[in-house]
Amino acid sequence: MSVKAVKQHKYRVGKMTFLDYFLMAVLAVLALMIIIPFLNVIAISLSPQKDYADNPMMLFPRHPTLDAYKALLNDGRIVTGFLNTLKILVVGLPLSLFLTSTMAYALSRNKFPGKKGIFFLVLFTMIFNGGIVPLYLVMKSLHLTGSLWSVILVGSFSAFNMILMMNYFQGLPESLMESARLDGAGEWKILFSIVLPLAAPIMATITLFYGVGFWNGWYDAMIFLRKADMLPLQNVLRTIIVESSTNVSNASSVDALNKSGFSTGMKMASVFVSMVPIMCFFPMLQKHFAKGVLTGAIKT
Amino acid sequence: MKPAALGPDKKLRERSGSGSWYKEIWKHRMTYTLLIPGLIWLILFAYLPMGGLSLAFKHYKANEGIWGSPWVGFENFKYVFRDPTFMQAVWRTLYINIIKLVITFPFPILLALLLNELRMRKMKKLYQTVFTFPQFLSWIIVSGIVINVLSYDGLLNSALAMLGLPTINFLGSEKMFLPMLIITDIWKSTGWGAIIFLAAISGIDQDQYESAQIDGASRMQQIFKITLPNIIPTVTVMFILNVGGLMSAGFDQIFNLANAATQNVSQVLDVYIYRITFQSSTDFSFSTAVSLFRSLVNMILLLAADRVAKMMGGDGLFR
Repeated sequence: MSVKAVKQHKYRVGKMTFLDYFLMAVLAVLALMIIIPFLNVIAISLSPQKDYADNPMMLFPRHPTLDAYKALLNDGRIVTGFLNTLKILVVGLPLSLFLTSTMAYALSRNKFPGKKGIFFLVLFTMIFNGGIVPLYLVMKSLHLTGSLWSVILVGSFSAFNMILMMNYFQGLPESLMESARLDGAGEWKILFSIVLPLAAPIMATITLFYGVGFWNGWYDAMIFLRKADMLPLQNVLRTIIVESSTNVSNASSVDALNKSGFSTGMKMASVFVSMVPIMCFFPMLQKHFAKGVLTGAIKT
Repeated sequence: MKPAALGPDKKLRERSGSGSWYKEIWKHRMTYTLLIPGLIWLILFAYLPMGGLSLAFKHYKANEGIWGSPWVGFENFKYVFRDPTFMQAVWRTLYINIIKLVITFPFPILLALLLNELRMRKMKKLYQTVFTFPQFLSWIIVSGIVINVLSYDGLLNSALAMLGLPTINFLGSEKMFLPMLIITDIWKSTGWGAIIFLAAISGIDQDQYESAQIDGASRMQQIFKITLPNIIPTVTVMFILNVGGLMSAGFDQIFNLANAATQNVSQVLDVYIYRITFQSSTDFSFSTAVSLFRSLVNMILLLAADRVAKMMGGDGLFR
C-alpha cells in the first residue's frame, strides 16, 4: 500500500488524539458490561454451591468442578429439551429456507399477473395478524396441537426474512437468468443452480435468523404442546430459571432452592449450555449478516 | 385448468384482452408453481387465523368450532371495555413501551457513532461481535443472566454492598420494575440496533468527509454536520417501526422477568391476553376481541407513524 492510498482513508489519517483514547476507554467499559455477566454465569456453573454463597461476584471458578453439569445431565429434562429443539431445527430449517427462497425468487423476478397482490398479501401479515386464539384453533382443527409440527410450521416462514431475501435477489444481474432461460432452464432450475449459489451472504443471514428463531422459540411450544417430554429447550430452561425463581427477592432463597431442586450452579449451567450453540455459530455467520441486512432492511 | 388446455398454436391466435391475460399467466406458469408452497403457508397460518378473528363477533362454542358458532355482534367488545383490568393493561402497555422507547432509542445511534469513530478495524469487528451477541439470546436465557446479576444476593448487589452502598431490590419491587426493563433492554438490544445505523453510516459518500477535512472541519463537526444528518432517514424508519409495535413490544422480556412480587405492574396487554386465554378462563371469544383490538391499534399506529414520516419528508416504510 502506498502512503498516498493510506492517507486517503479517513480513519487512518493523523495520530491518535485524546478523543481516540477516550473512545477506546468508553468502548472497553461497555464491552466489559456485556462480558462480565457471562463470565459470572460460567464461573458459577463451574463452582461448588458453597463458593457461590461465599462470593457471588466471582469471575473465575476457584475450585472448578463439573458437578452442576453432571446433576443437570442426571435430571435429564434439559437433554430431552435439547433433542426436541434439534428435531425442530433439522426439519424446520430446510423447510423455512425452501418456503422463503421459492417465494422470494418468484417475487423478485420479472413481472407476472398478480405479483403486486401476492406481495401485498405477504406485507399485510407484517402489519396485522389474527392473534394467538384463532391460530390455536386453526392448529387444533388441523390436528397439529400436541405435535412438534405445530412449532415447526408456525416458525417456518417470516415475511420480514422473505423481503430481505427478495431484495437481495433483485440485486442479482438479470442477464444470468436470461441466458439460463435461453439454454432452456426452468425457473426451479434457475433458482437452485444459479440464484442460490450466488446468494451465500443472504442465505447465511436468513439461516441464522430462522435458526435463532427456532432455537429461542418457546411461546408457540407453551401453547401448542402440552406434554413435558415434548417441550423444546427454552421451555425447559424457563421451568428451571424463571418458574423456580419466583421468590428471588426474598432472603429465603435457600428454601426456594430446596423446593425447586435446582442449585444456582445448575441454573447457570443450563443457561450456559443453552447459549453454547449460538456462541459457536454466531461469529461465523456474523460477517455475513451485516451485509445481508444492509442490502435488505433499510430500503424495503 | 383452462390455460393449460390451450395448445401453443391456439394461444398465439388469441388477440382479445382476456386471451392475452391467459397467455401472460401461461407464460409464467413456472413462476406460479414457485409461489405455491409459500402461499399455502400464508393461507393456513396467516389468513385462516385472520378469518378466525370473526370469533370476536361470535359466541364461541367449542363443539361448533370457529365457523359454526353464532354471531353476537359487538357483544364481546362491550364486556372487554367494561373490564377494568383490560383498560389497565392497555394503559400500562402504552406507558411502559413509550417510556422504554424514548429512553432506549438514542443508545444504538450513540453506539454506532462511537464505533464508527474507532480507528482500529479489528477492534471494531471484535466490539461489534461482543455488543451484538446478546440480541441473539432468548429472553429466557437473558433473564437467567439478569436474575443472576440483579438478584438480592447477585453480582451487582454484592458489589454495591462491598463498596458500602445501599443494595437495590431490582427484581422484587414494583418501583424498580420499569427501570429494570429499560436497563436490561439496553443491555440486550443496543448492539444489534447499532448495526443498522452503522450500515447507514457506511453508505455515506466519503467525498463529503474529504472535502470537510480540506475545509478544516474537526471530527466533532464532521459527526454533527455530516454523519448525523445523513442517517436521519434511517433513524426515522427505525423510530416508525418501534412506534408500530408499541402495543405488543416487550412481551418476551416482561413475561420472563416478572415474578410474584411484580405481578401487578407487569400485566401488559399481551400478558393479559395470555392469562385470560390459557390460564384463568377459556372464553375464546372474549380474548379474540382483545387480540383484535390490539392488532387494530398496532396497525393504526404503524400506518399513522408512516404517514407522519412521509410528511416530514422521510422515506416511510411503504412506498
